[in-house]
Amino acid sequence: MNAVILVCLLLVPTAAGIALALWNHAPKRIADTVFVAALSLEALLTLAYLFLPDAALRLFSMTDTLTVALATDGVSRIFLAVGAFGFLLAGVYATRYMAHGTRQASFYAFLLLSLAALVGMDASQNLITMYLFFECATLLSMPLVLHDRTEESIRAAMKYLFYSIGGAFLALLAIFTLASYTSSLDFAAGGTLDAAKAAAHRPLLEIVIFLGVIGFGAKAGLYPLHGWLPTAHPVAPAPASAVLSAVITKAGVLAIFRLIYGIVGAAFLRGTWVQIAWIALALLTVFMGSMMAYREDVLKKRLAYSSVSQISYILTGLFCMTPESVTGGLLHVIFHACIKICLFLFAGSVIVNLNKTRVSELRGIGKQMPVTLWAFTIAALGLIGIPPAAGFVSKWYLAIGALDTGLPVLNWLAPVVLLVSALLTAGYLLPITISGFFPGRDFAPLPRTDEGTPAMWLPIGILSAFSLLIGIFAGPLVDWTMALVRPLL
Amino acid sequence: MLYGLLLFPMGMAFVVWLVGRSNQRARNLLAALTTVAEFGLTVWIALAPDLSAGIDGVAGLGIHLETDGFRRVYLVVIAFLWMMTTLLGNEYFSHYKTCNRYYFFNLMTLGATIGVFVSADLFTALIFFEIMSFTSYPWVIQEEMEAAIRAANTYLAVAVIGGLAALMGLFLLWHTLGTTTISALYDAAKTVDNKAVLYVAGGCVLFGFGAKAGMFPLHIWLPKAHPVAPAPASALLSGLLTKSGVFGVLVLTCRVFYADPAWGTVILVLGTVTMVLGALLALFSIDLKRTLACSSVSQIGFILVGIGMMGLLGESGALAARGTLLHMLNHSLFKLVLFMAAGVVYQNLHALDLNDIRGFGRKKPLLLLPFLFGALGIGGFPLFNGYVSKTLLHESIVEGVAHLAAHGGNAFGLRAVEWLFLLSGGITVAYMTKLFVALFIERHPTRQAEFDQKRPYMNGVSTFALVASALVLPALGLSADWTMNGIADIGTGFMRAGALAHPVQYLAWSNLKGGLLSIAIGFALYFGIVRTVLMQKQNGAAVYVNRWPKRLDLEELLYRPLLTKWLPGILGSIAALFGENRITGLLAKGVLRGGMGIAALFGKNRITAPLAKGALRGGMIAAHGLSDLLDAWILLLRKTVYRDCRPEPENTAMKSLPYRFGSLLDRIAIRHGREEQGGRRFAETAYRTRRTLRTTSRQITGNLSFALLMLVLAICAVFVYTLFMR
Repeated sequence: MNAVILVCLLLVPTAAGIALALWNHAPKRIADTVFVAALSLEALLTLAYLFLPDAALRLFSMTDTLTVALATDGVSRIFLAVGAFGFLLAGVYATRYMAHGTRQASFYAFLLLSLAALVGMDASQNLITMYLFFECATLLSMPLVLHDRTEESIRAAMKYLFYSIGGAFLALLAIFTLASYTSSLDFAAGGTLDAAKAAAHRPLLEIVIFLGVIGFGAKAGLYPLHGWLPTAHPVAPAPASAVLSAVITKAGVLAIFRLIYGIVGAAFLRGTWVQIAWIALALLTVFMGSMMAYREDVLKKRLAYSSVSQISYILTGLFCMTPESVTGGLLHVIFHACIKICLFLFAGSVIVNLNKTRVSELRGIGKQMPVTLWAFTIAALGLIGIPPAAGFVSKWYLAIGALDTGLPVLNWLAPVVLLVSALLTAGYLLPITISGFFPGRDFAPLPRTDEGTPAMWLPIGILSAFSLLIGIFAGPLVDWTMALVRPLL
Repeated sequence: MLYGLLLFPMGMAFVVWLVGRSNQRARNLLAALTTVAEFGLTVWIALAPDLSAGIDGVAGLGIHLETDGFRRVYLVVIAFLWMMTTLLGNEYFSHYKTCNRYYFFNLMTLGATIGVFVSADLFTALIFFEIMSFTSYPWVIQEEMEAAIRAANTYLAVAVIGGLAALMGLFLLWHTLGTTTISALYDAAKTVDNKAVLYVAGGCVLFGFGAKAGMFPLHIWLPKAHPVAPAPASALLSGLLTKSGVFGVLVLTCRVFYADPAWGTVILVLGTVTMVLGALLALFSIDLKRTLACSSVSQIGFILVGIGMMGLLGESGALAARGTLLHMLNHSLFKLVLFMAAGVVYQNLHALDLNDIRGFGRKKPLLLLPFLFGALGIGGFPLFNGYVSKTLLHESIVEGVAHLAAHGGNAFGLRAVEWLFLLSGGITVAYMTKLFVALFIERHPTRQAEFDQKRPYMNGVSTFALVASALVLPALGLSADWTMNGIADIGTGFMRAGALAHPVQYLAWSNLKGGLLSIAIGFALYFGIVRTVLMQKQNGAAVYVNRWPKRLDLEELLYRPLLTKWLPGILGSIAALFGENRITGLLAKGVLRGGMGIAALFGKNRITAPLAKGALRGGMIAAHGLSDLLDAWILLLRKTVYRDCRPEPENTAMKSLPYRFGSLLDRIAIRHGREEQGGRRFAETAYRTRRTLRTTSRQITGNLSFALLMLVLAICAVFVYTLFMR
């Protein structure tokens, strides 16, 4: 039963996606229906699967050792849920957002196919399967970026491809090398590295694993391969930027998680220069992303830089390799996805309803779109980490975990950088709320405008409320994640 | 029960907001009833035995609440102030158009403030502290004037930075002590050997809570935010929100750093500076509410001096503990009365400058008496409540001097603190006299008749709120021996202070001496400085002038440039260095330069050249082939991925330094009679050279970063090769 659902999770978006891709002149009403129905079904199936025991099944074998097989664990469940629900809400929003655009059917198709690739990645049983779906996700999400077919968007899409494939190439190097030093490429708690073989070639392995993570990090926007995010996200349509920034970048996080905790094992890396370099790079990205966002005026670009920073929060947690920090990282996967979709959809609403793209133009919008701006504000407070909203909880565990690493300097530098970045986050998000709600006495109040149909403001509202509630009632989730993480370390 | 205390006002906030959308009168009534009910609830809880409650898992670690003597006292104070200000707000806000949000945030902040005071651990305290900071932000910006927006931004910046600093402190406390539960902090901190981390943690938490309390050098938000907020909000900001900061400092001093002289000294020094500086600022100010706000800074300084003395004296700090608690309580009550009186002035005149409002209070006994009571209270006049707490604080410093002398220490510093304490008390009397004389004794040069006819100047509800609050002050002062002593007995258990060695005779000569000395200093300052230096004859009438140098403003001088210009400038360029991949570009350039240098080294070697010529030829052909292949690649990529970005816009080039320099040369040339050459010669050359340089360098950088990518690929290939040839 659960295996059937797992296969359905993969098949539903694939089938719907292919259907829409083939019939890309479908009338908008039919395309919308198929799209939303597929996403709803996917979300329902995911919900059902969350309550069933883990399934495992082999799809096919390329050679004796290279098999494509699916299996899930707790971490898969986190990413599956984030993917399915994130896509559902962004998808519902997209049906209104794309109402006046062209080529909706193909846009929907590639959204569905990207989701299928992500599902495959989340549920992979081994490194080969994951790599396969990882590349699929890159290729299938690229058309989302060039949807507008402007010169700028094509250039951005090429850049995205260049970075992702270049990064995947480095990762492939790691996979090849690790293949001969591990007992198998199947993910296992604590890793599958053959200790005796590995000890003999430690420096080589360290370099290769380091490069592999840097390569997968391209997807997650880790310095130095972060450059594509601020280029690609702003040019895509808002729902696509939302899922690109909030869900598809998490593919990089999952890949890094699997590589470190499923194949190599934290014990091999703890305390080495590799760990130190990773943490340093992640902290650099955290700071750099926030600072660049603070200096950026184009709203979607600001949010893209914010993603660069926030995803490196997660990576910092993974690299610190303590139970608390990894828990904080995984929690931040959920929280950041929820908040970032909300923020990008807000940007989309501002573009569609007010035709404004720059932060400096947003004065007084609180009078025009009060519900949307309230939702934005609550989500923004969550991202900054103001208690009791969601971001606070994850940051607490990240910082506590980082202090426990025992690495010199980095153990206190990490929380400091996280907090400085939180300050910058406040600096780049709160002015939108402030000038929106309090434009000043001399500002002529604008009439309240249409905030779009419920299909537009409802997803924003749901995500915003969720980001607050999940922070307040985080207890069970924290305990569950902690229980998940402890055996890995 | 405790949850009800928190959730009732927060829940009612939504109801009040919804009701207020359609019916303002019903909303005002509902809001007032909510605060009255909340007051009743707190009184009930105060009379009940200690409570505790908690939900695990909320926001991660869970929230935990408890009450004890100190909190029971303060809960009642909070609800009392909120009730009175809400009653006053009824009339105060009647002319406002957009005050629905004020009512909403007012009740939200009530819940959050109560949350801070009933929290059983610092984690919970921080959660409510942050909620309180954010929900009180709309208070400050309510008026939406430029000054209000600026002040509100300062308030928010201080709140966010302070909150994050406190959070960092909590991370460290949790890391070293493994708990943030207030009742467990003392035992946990006792066992720590390495105090350094603990001091850093304490410093961070102190930064956060001290900022809210208005401790120097983080006091900057008070004198800005209080004058622009509506008067009921100013009373709460000044009377209660600052106290939530003091609460945090108390937890640190009485639990984490109990009887730690080093910590006590730091607090004492900061407190003394705050006390004197605030008093001086208040003396110079000529704005009614700004004076009161600066006075709050100063009075918080008095409280911090008490906390510092507790740290220094440890177990024998009972006097300091009682003084601190009572002065917290008293200050909340004075500022309630004084800010409400200021609110009545403002709602009639819409002005706060002393020159504009002077004489307003004449022939208005119901305004005069409350203001007088507040002034006498805060000035520490005998028989009023402020005298009691100030006497206790003064006695604790005297005790500290004696304590130090008995242990052979040098008490000079403490003696100086004592004198500054009395001086600050004197300045308090001076600025309150200034306000009182301006409002109630002097006449307005032109509008006095209009002022005298303003009737009614406040409605019945406001009168009740003002007079009832004011009567509390002498009531407490007159019955000090049992009311105030009783409160101190209940409350000081929280501070871990021992029992009082002997009861204090408040009206004994030895105690009266200090108070009377302060009052004498105050009148001397008023007649010696305020009436002479701080007033000026203009058109035959004496007017108040602000002699405080405008430039001497810590915020404008240091914090704002630091946070908005210097830090973003420096850190931003660092971030841009990485964010825009300048480093990898430079690296690529460097690698290529190096390679070229090495090549030149070998290429120019004349001796081996003839020998190598033949080999080189062959190599060259191969290299040419390769390099052409590479060039073709580069060409392809430059046409697709690495296409040049936008050209430099004309106008920025025109502003460039070479162009300007060229124009300068041109002008010189023209002046020297060389027009026949045709104008703009140098400028044009300079401009072209610069543009060529720019274009070339951009092309080179682009190619080089591609080269670096190729290098990476090559390294990878080498790896793969070594793997398979292994």
